[in-house]
Amino acid sequence: MISLAGRDILHAWGKFAFTGLGLGLLIGVTLVMAGVYRGMVQDGRALLDNSGADLWVVQQDTLGPYAESSSVADDLYRGILGMPGVTHAANVTYLTMQVRSGGRDVRAMVVGLATTGRWDEPGWPTRLAAGRPITRSHYEAIADLATGFQIGDVLSLRNNRYTVVGLTRRTVSSGGDPMVFLTLKDGQQAQFTKDNDAIRRSRERNRENPILAAPGAKGALAVLDASQESSRSVNAILVRLAPGVPPESVAEQIRAWKRLEVHTRVDMESILIGKLIATSARQIGLFLIILAAVSAAIVAFIIHTLTMEKIREIAVLKLIGTRDRTIAWMIVQQALVLGAIGFAVGRITAAYSAPLFPKFVLLTPMDSVLGFASVMVICLLASGLAVRVALRVDAADAIGG
Amino acid sequence: MIVIRGNRRLQMVIASCVALTLLFAYVALRSGPMAPVAVTVETVPVRGIEPALFGVGIVDARTIATLGPTAPGRLSKVHVDVGDSVRIGQVVAEMDPVDLAERRRAQAATLSRSEALVVEARTRRDHARAQLARYAALGESKLVSVELLELKRQELALAEASAQVAHEDAARVRAELEALDARQADLVLRSPVDGLVAERHAQPGDALVAGQAVLEILDPGSLWVDTRFNQIGADGLAAGRRARIELHSRSGILHEAEVLRVDPLADAVTEELVAKVRFNTLPNPLPPIGELAQVTVALPATGPRPTIPTASIQRLGTAIGVWTVDNDDLAFVEIRTGERDLDGHVQVLEGLQGGETVVVYAEGALVPESRLRIVDRLPGVAK
Amino acid sequence: MAGQGILIEGLRKRYGKGDAAVDALKGVDMRVDPGEVVGLIGPSGSGKSTLLKCLGAVIEPTAGRMVLGGEVIFDGGWVARDLRALRRDRIGFVFQSPYLIPFLDVTDNVALLPMLAGVPDAEARRRALDLLEALDVSHRATAMPSRLSGGEQQRVAIARGLVNRPPVILADEPTAPLDSERALAVVRLLADMARKYETAIIVVTHDDKIIPTFKRLYRIRDGVTYEERGAAADPLEGAP
Repeated sequence: MISLAGRDILHAWGKFAFTGLGLGLLIGVTLVMAGVYRGMVQDGRALLDNSGADLWVVQQDTLGPYAESSSVADDLYRGILGMPGVTHAANVTYLTMQVRSGGRDVRAMVVGLATTGRWDEPGWPTRLAAGRPITRSHYEAIADLATGFQIGDVLSLRNNRYTVVGLTRRTVSSGGDPMVFLTLKDGQQAQFTKDNDAIRRSRERNRENPILAAPGAKGALAVLDASQESSRSVNAILVRLAPGVPPESVAEQIRAWKRLEVHTRVDMESILIGKLIATSARQIGLFLIILAAVSAAIVAFIIHTLTMEKIREIAVLKLIGTRDRTIAWMIVQQALVLGAIGFAVGRITAAYSAPLFPKFVLLTPMDSVLGFASVMVICLLASGLAVRVALRVDAADAIGG
Repeated sequence: MIVIRGNRRLQMVIASCVALTLLFAYVALRSGPMAPVAVTVETVPVRGIEPALFGVGIVDARTIATLGPTAPGRLSKVHVDVGDSVRIGQVVAEMDPVDLAERRRAQAATLSRSEALVVEARTRRDHARAQLARYAALGESKLVSVELLELKRQELALAEASAQVAHEDAARVRAELEALDARQADLVLRSPVDGLVAERHAQPGDALVAGQAVLEILDPGSLWVDTRFNQIGADGLAAGRRARIELHSRSGILHEAEVLRVDPLADAVTEELVAKVRFNTLPNPLPPIGELAQVTVALPATGPRPTIPTASIQRLGTAIGVWTVDNDDLAFVEIRTGERDLDGHVQVLEGLQGGETVVVYAEGALVPESRLRIVDRLPGVAK
Repeated sequence: MAGQGILIEGLRKRYGKGDAAVDALKGVDMRVDPGEVVGLIGPSGSGKSTLLKCLGAVIEPTAGRMVLGGEVIFDGGWVARDLRALRRDRIGFVFQSPYLIPFLDVTDNVALLPMLAGVPDAEARRRALDLLEALDVSHRATAMPSRLSGGEQQRVAIARGLVNRPPVILADEPTAPLDSERALAVVRLLADMARKYETAIIVVTHDDKIIPTFKRLYRIRDGVTYEERGAAADPLEGAP
């Protein structure tokens, strides 16, 4: 038996290929959008995993360092370290800011992390792509590859310069900004230190103060200047617990005793993925629905057009004895083949365009399978219009009036 | 069934379908979780390393003399300015004597008067003594009354007392004069050391109180870098260690130095140890006080041991170790680490022998079943 | 395949209901013997198409009797069960326009019919090629229809009509697009085929070029047919 669908596709190959290509690009964009969502979720989870923390201690009534700004004293961690069940407590600063290097300006999240000298320090990236971890207490940095910096680049942050000694991959903030890691003191300085003009002005004000200007009070002036120019704050404290210790119980203790806000890993995930990513997820979801509708419309239109072009031939086929269902199957097959071509083109397009996208795109095999199934279902439904038209053709119309 | 009849169009279509399928298969296998993980590897050498400590310090001087008047007055002259060299004993500033000269003259006059009074008193005493001798001789001849003799004796005593008073009084006035002289000498400020003028706090004409600083003079030979080291990881910091100082304004130039001492008082707030690091030879020109410097202190070199890049150390569960590659087998080996250096190397005490191939950088998380793709650099890393 | 041609008695077809009803056929009688080619002529609106549609089993007559190839297919109501199979196996169609399937080549256009009837592909193609040869278009066997001239296409269409060796062929204006030489050739061809395969052929036409070639004609007017003797003694007709 001749495959009518096959022959028809062969005959109209140009139309099919062209439509398949267009459909494929649309599907490719859809897959990339879904990949963006997956990427955001994975980055969010990675952010939490990398911090190696079971609890995040932040300023009272704030949602944590990723969602809101938070400021806590930098010596609180000592008290937390002494609590039962706590194995690590480390200060951390986070600030999203512009980082300059060699004429380029990049928006990055600058993270200041305490160095404890052990191998499992909370917050530090667990894996490097190049270079080495920070060994010196100042002026060294680790940057994510997405910043575009390379080993040896000198970064300018506020008044200081930091040399990039290590590179990481896929360390990004919840907002998608790549991260730059510094030691805690450097991080505090980058975030809390005023710029030179402000420091000068504040010193002049102090000098004009008659009490401080009294002779013999020189020491007092220096101490006051220094105290105003330094900072004793951090954004959060990362806490790791011993295995088996229930996080919520330690969290409650810290909350009550120290009057701080404490978020567990579960809380953080729901904040990160629930609140922060939710808006993007809705946008992406809406986009996917629109793309699916457009794809369905395209397939329906093309298949319908191809069918209408063959109306006479369909009538003749019916007249000479072709079954209705053979004709319907021919049309459906065409739609499915179109979908398959479109999906193949789309998957390939997605794979090659994903690295060019500014955000991280994660394509999972499951998504591909689901995508393929969806495309097939959409094509099946879209062909329905044309099938309906074909079935209503009257064989008698082949016999001209 | 489609009969293949050498139809050109059919051939073209089949060719493009095959190409599409192959490309699709390639994409499916190379990207996503089925793809091999790119890694870089290294053979473990057996060598020693040179650990070191790093700290940031500020240039300071051990000896900074603060010069100022001991009594309130007005600054009359300043002979030097910031940056000038001075010798020990050199007059660097002078206070205004104000009325000191006049008071000295007054005092000198008072002294003259006192000395004159001494002469007068002595003269009276001498006269009283002579009188007594005369009357005593007369008394022996019983020419005068005992009463009169007593009187002359008393007059002598009085005269002697008066002379004493005048003498002491003159001594007192002399002492006051000497005091004024001392004050005069003190109006001249002399440098107590050979050194450089670091700061100047007052101008001629300023009224100063006792103890107020006019000049700060530092001894350049006492220049050092007041350096802070994180307490954690500062094992081995001790006096006598060799060090290198890099001044912020002269980056790239390393000055040989030595740790002079580790301060007995550490900083509990910043959790830092403080050490004083001294230049072996003073840089020329001298670095200003307050300039920042980076200090690297050398610790004793270690013996040869398997040495790996710190970046290759990973965690698996609770163990720390490295991933080794043997032919195509990937295995996680637990290790115990020893010394580290500042360039990102660490020595392995247990777990490796040397010569193994370890994974240094990996594109993603590794499990023993991971397929590897060995590359020179991970994608995205420049040469 | 020997059959008994076409027999129609009292065929009626009414469209619509009640006052708006139109009687397209008002009692048609026709007979075509196997091996015979009969003309059916009449003005437009006379019911030609309706009659053809009834014969082609694509519309249902209102009343009457139809016998095709010895089989009663309609007697007041459909007797034949599977009309589609009937059309496929027992009736061949030739249209005014060839209506070849544009995406099948010439051979497959013809071979499609036997394949639909369950004939193995190779056998179907062999039959197709035989007919194409008989119709003198086998040199175009692998070409696509769009590449053929009008006459060639028509011949392929005739081949398609004949390939299943139906007892009945309905031809609707088969010579309209052709010039007189070709038109006569087509009629000759039909006569040959009819004779060879004992097929009963009705040719609906108003082409004056070929009307004289028919031995027997039916005129249809106002839904009723009238038999006529055609211009006889034409050597094309072969043995009387």
